[in-house]
Amino acid sequence: MNRHGANPQPKPKIQNMSGTLKRITGYLLKRKGKLILTIVTVALSSVLALAGPFLIGVAIDNYIASGDEDGLLWLLGGLALVYVSYSGVLFLQNYWMADIAQKTVYELRDDLFQHFHKLPIAFFDKRRHGELMSRVTNDIENISSTLNSSIIQIASGILTLAGSIVVMLYLSPILTVVTLLIIPLMFGGMKWITKRTGPKFKEQQRHLGDLNGFIEEAISSRHIVKMFSREDEMIADFMERNEQLREAGYLAQAYSGFIPKLMNVLNNTSFAFIALAGGILALNGQASVGTIVIFTEYARQFTRPLNDLANQYNTMLSAVAGAERVFDIIDTEETVDGKTGTRHNILGEVIFKDVSFSYEKGKETLSGVTFSASKGETIALIGPTGSGKTTIMNLLARFYEPDSGSIVFDGVDSRNISGASLRGQMGFVLQDTVLFEETVMENIRYGRLNATDEEVVEAARLANAHSFIMKMPDGYAAKLSQEGSGISQGQRQLIAIARAILADPVILILDEATSSIDTITELHIQEALGRLMEGRTSFVIAHRLNTVRRADQVIRLRAGRIEAMGAYEDVVEHHG
Amino acid sequence: MSRVLSLLKPYRLSMAAAWGLMLLELAVELVMPILIAKMIDDGIIAGNLNMVIRWGVIMIGLSLFSFAAGITNSFIAARIGQNYGFDIRKKLFEKVQSFSFAQYGHFDTSTLITRMTNDVTQLQNAVFMSLRIMLRAPLMIVFGTAMALYVHFGLSLVLVIVVPVMLVFMMFMMRRGASMFERVQKRLDKVNSVMRENLTGIRLIKAFVRSDHEKSRFQKSSKALMDETIRVIRTFESIVPLLLLVMNGALLLILWLGFVEMQNGTVTTGEIVAIINYAARIIISLSIFTFITIAFARGKASAGRIDEVLNVEQEKLNWVTETYPKDGDLTLENVFFTYPGGTAPVLKDLSMTVKRGEMAAILGGTGSGKSALLSLIPRLYEPDSGIISIGGRDISQMKMDSLRREIGFVPQESHLFTGSIFDNIRWGKKNATEKEIVEAARKAQIHETVAALPDGYHTMIGQKGVTLSGGQKQRLSIARALIRKPDILLLDDSTSALDVKTEVALIDAITEEKCTIIIVTQKISTAEQADRIFMIEDGQVAMSGTHKELSSQNGLYKRLMESQGRKENIHEQTRG
Repeated sequence: MNRHGANPQPKPKIQNMSGTLKRITGYLLKRKGKLILTIVTVALSSVLALAGPFLIGVAIDNYIASGDEDGLLWLLGGLALVYVSYSGVLFLQNYWMADIAQKTVYELRDDLFQHFHKLPIAFFDKRRHGELMSRVTNDIENISSTLNSSIIQIASGILTLAGSIVVMLYLSPILTVVTLLIIPLMFGGMKWITKRTGPKFKEQQRHLGDLNGFIEEAISSRHIVKMFSREDEMIADFMERNEQLREAGYLAQAYSGFIPKLMNVLNNTSFAFIALAGGILALNGQASVGTIVIFTEYARQFTRPLNDLANQYNTMLSAVAGAERVFDIIDTEETVDGKTGTRHNILGEVIFKDVSFSYEKGKETLSGVTFSASKGETIALIGPTGSGKTTIMNLLARFYEPDSGSIVFDGVDSRNISGASLRGQMGFVLQDTVLFEETVMENIRYGRLNATDEEVVEAARLANAHSFIMKMPDGYAAKLSQEGSGISQGQRQLIAIARAILADPVILILDEATSSIDTITELHIQEALGRLMEGRTSFVIAHRLNTVRRADQVIRLRAGRIEAMGAYEDVVEHHG
Repeated sequence: MSRVLSLLKPYRLSMAAAWGLMLLELAVELVMPILIAKMIDDGIIAGNLNMVIRWGVIMIGLSLFSFAAGITNSFIAARIGQNYGFDIRKKLFEKVQSFSFAQYGHFDTSTLITRMTNDVTQLQNAVFMSLRIMLRAPLMIVFGTAMALYVHFGLSLVLVIVVPVMLVFMMFMMRRGASMFERVQKRLDKVNSVMRENLTGIRLIKAFVRSDHEKSRFQKSSKALMDETIRVIRTFESIVPLLLLVMNGALLLILWLGFVEMQNGTVTTGEIVAIINYAARIIISLSIFTFITIAFARGKASAGRIDEVLNVEQEKLNWVTETYPKDGDLTLENVFFTYPGGTAPVLKDLSMTVKRGEMAAILGGTGSGKSALLSLIPRLYEPDSGIISIGGRDISQMKMDSLRREIGFVPQESHLFTGSIFDNIRWGKKNATEKEIVEAARKAQIHETVAALPDGYHTMIGQKGVTLSGGQKQRLSIARALIRKPDILLLDDSTSALDVKTEVALIDAITEEKCTIIIVTQKISTAEQADRIFMIEDGQVAMSGTHKELSSQNGLYKRLMESQGRKENIHEQTRG
């Protein structure tokens, strides 16, 4: 069915709700002060909410009926004060809550993002980008909308509930017990409902993520879709995912809708039973009619916070569904990828000692590769596609770690040099040219963030990019897009080369850096690069032999092994 | 009318049913107080247990009935909500698939993704909300006001004045809120876009050790989202306290006026109590109304964003009937072309002819217009002027499908899809048999590599096929084009990562295909295998001819040859 379909997804597991909630609470508690203030104001507002009707009752009974104008004015004054403070307190609690909730969401999002940067390249190679994006947007937004309303509602729900239980107990313990009978029923009903909504919420978020992933892929590959007239198939594949999302969403929403209805029917039933019990008590003279009437009123009030709590519980489930997907990532072990080791200033000597590596078990990409590069040398890697050239670059940069053997920089094992420190001293031009949605100036400056405009222009000149940049309508201020419309692939490479030149690295890594550039332009760049490479150790992958010709050493790889190694004349011309 | 709202039309009947059920529920709810009064008056106060039981049974019966209605409503509302979301996503995706390249330029990928997921969810929530509770609040308000007027006209005038003012105020807030929420969504777009850049550029970011830089960039966008969200939440959440203040003020006024009227003997205590009770209900309904206002404001903002996409006009497809003629030469006559959004033309008065079944090589400097030229042939873009024809038939008069079906395109950047290798090759031709796939892979010189993988053709490759080398990706994307058995094969510098030997074998294999081939290349070794070579310089054909002809002329071609260290007489040698 899924021709280039969905990733195999595990069945939604029973969620560890309390653990997830605890972690969210941990985030909330970072703003303890405001949280306490909010809860205090919630308590205040619960009291003030009750004071209003009470004072009105007093006004009617004691002053209006008796025509006491002065008394009434005083009371109305007091009432006005209650109302003003009630609104004030409500305003404050919302004001603080917005801050607490959104800062929590911000931190959650930030932690997620930061964690992405701790994960190894391999993690990103295996996942759909859009699916990961969905966690940063859709899942976190889901938490955001819940946090805002839930905390206040839950706090006020619990307070009001406690308050009414106290009053009811005071009025009639027996009737209170009858009233509380609703609670086990409610629990049963809620369990039935949330057993259905919980997994559906999770499924919904998962399908939403899947859909997000599909959309991202579909849009970023639009040129191929168009070229191959595959629009209809893309739509069909999309609809499959759209359908799955619809079904999960449908059941989640429908069952969630049960909650207020269930509470309603429970309330009414409980009320009937209270009346019945009250009637029996009254007949036996165990309670006054007045007490029963007041009691029924409280019993009705009692169920409102229960209703709110039930609804909030369900909403929490939906937030938990999102939060779990966020924590899933945050809990992904931050693996190697240059985690271990310390800062170390490298000079440029690199030795590969019997290095073996495989991306997937069972298929070695490199087997027993040994070579050495002394400081300032240029090493060219050649060989048929898939022979392991880029893999050597990946290992040099500690994007991956060798399975066996070691890579030694100036006598120090790469495992003892942190990846960041290592890469900070290297300059890269990678096979896939990545540009950011920034100006040309900023894109080049990415190589060295504190470079001046003049330095950027100088680097662009060296890379032969200056002239085409100046031909663009806005020159260096021209905004580029990720998809890079408007400039050609070769021009993108020129910008990437300028970026690496600007980085002023100890070791230069050029992976097919000039593959889309015409050879005449390349010659010019070669001159500049030649000057740049002086005194720096450089690793160059290229298929064009003239790029390789200047190398001090040429290493020819085949199927992950070194087939030949030596001077250009010996390795290349000999081979023909 | 908004396009996205008109998508609700098919659900008119179901919506009416949902609202009808909601009214039933509401009716039961309104009857309840009467039943309770009966139960208290006729039962408890009168000491008649039978009456308590009788009214109790009626009450439970009615509430079960309302429960049934409520649950049915919940199912219908969820169905409509989810179907509606499903329909919007479908329409959006279809629309986006129909975009021309120029139209894609209007929207950033990340905003399209947000619109298809998050915005749809917002709109869906608004619809679901309206089906579940929308009628309730306004009806309660109208009903409450009417009852108050019935009880005492004079006193209720306060409500008649204040309530509409509050409603108008909320309408105003909804409008204002929509533009605020639109800003929130825009900020979300930005977060999404930074996230996407980070995912696509993760290798580069790690290579340049720019995680901190990216983190601060992300924080900036995430903070902007947070600030805007806090702003909009605070604005909306202060509606409730404000509303309560005004309404409670009205209550005070009613109490005072009630007092005055009572002195005149024109109102009873009971009437004042009743009016105050109704006012209290109106206040509750008004606060619910605030929630609806928020959901609607959000929905309105999202609807606007969705409409923006849906309203993009379908590019005029003048009804053309011509089909692709097999066996025809490909001719470009005086073609001018400017990229959408570009200022200067990339192709200027370009003319060339490629004979049917021949292989043409296109060479030229970086940014000279080679890719632009190729993208005009499958009509990814339309030329500004000039005619492109096949067998004398203008391609702009051909059905798009009929044209593109005959073209195999291999883009410069090999873009593979999430899925197996098998899926990726078959992408070029639905229903391709296994035999065809293997054959295409063989011709693309990738069969042996694939067969050596542990899972062979079923090996899964990531979003960008990253565990494959650059050259392997290129060959897979060539196989994907070859499986179509195209009449015209366009290769946009897509052999750059192949070694000379593989490339020669590949070109030998594809020339057997008897199709017209246009290959953009930087390599003289590739060009010399072509029947005809076109040198593009500054958007024009500078010179053309066979390798022999061109290499004997002084000009760009010769300079290119020299830059690749080639002399006319040694080319045979390096081929093997």
